[in-house]
Amino acid sequence: MNFKMETRAVESMPPIIELEGEVDVYTAPQLKQQMIGLLEGGATELVVDLTKVEYLDSTALGVLIGGLKRLRERDGNMVLVCPSPRIRRVFEITGLDKIFDIFNTQPEAMEMMGKETG
Amino acid sequence: MAQSDSGACVELKFPCRPEYVGVARLAILGVASRMRFSYDEVEDVRLAVGEACTTSVEWAERNGKSESDIVLRSEIGDEKLIVDIFDEAGARSEDSRSGEPEQESENLGALLITLLVDEVSVVPRDGGTHVRMVKYARQR
Repeated sequence: MNFKMETRAVESMPPIIELEGEVDVYTAPQLKQQMIGLLEGGATELVVDLTKVEYLDSTALGVLIGGLKRLRERDGNMVLVCPSPRIRRVFEITGLDKIFDIFNTQPEAMEMMGKETG
Repeated sequence: MAQSDSGACVELKFPCRPEYVGVARLAILGVASRMRFSYDEVEDVRLAVGEACTTSVEWAERNGKSESDIVLRSEIGDEKLIVDIFDEAGARSEDSRSGEPEQESENLGALLITLLVDEVSVVPRDGGTHVRMVKYARQR
């Protein structure tokens, strides 16, 4: 299966979910479970890193939207790291680039989170 | 290369289950690569076919038809690629899905297909649905 997911959590920093490979109808449920786990664990901020993602479909978009909604309900936020033009294009053509904060690198994303938490 | 392919038809039958949608994407990637498509256009076709198959898989799960198959048929023309997707995933009854969380991604999937290919039709057939997508090769 061409999919990997790793979650890195450093104290006082938002958890980072790093995805690799194809995030689709088969693999997106794993991402959903991971996000639910982090939310239930009390996370209010989340970084999802799509740098190594080769393919992303509407199922994955649906999971990301669901996560963002839940986090914003608790005054939190989720930001994406997505340097790949091909993957970013999926967000652009669906208009979701206006909903998500999308950055090219993890440090940029973390800086944004730092500003939000102030 | 593309000239001699005109009229060629590639057909793939696979289980209507999530783990096989990637197989369909790989197959159509190979077919679309034989057309005079740009890199982005090949990606468009791959994503559109993935979305159409995903919709079939989700309806099959909802209708208890996950043991059925999908037939993906692609026809290479001089100017266009025609992709037919036939499923036996049962009827796509709007009533049975309203309010479900999956609806949002399905709507996104339908939106993506509309944006990525030039023509799309979704027609109910006996026991399932026939989706036809057409992508034209631009003159360069």
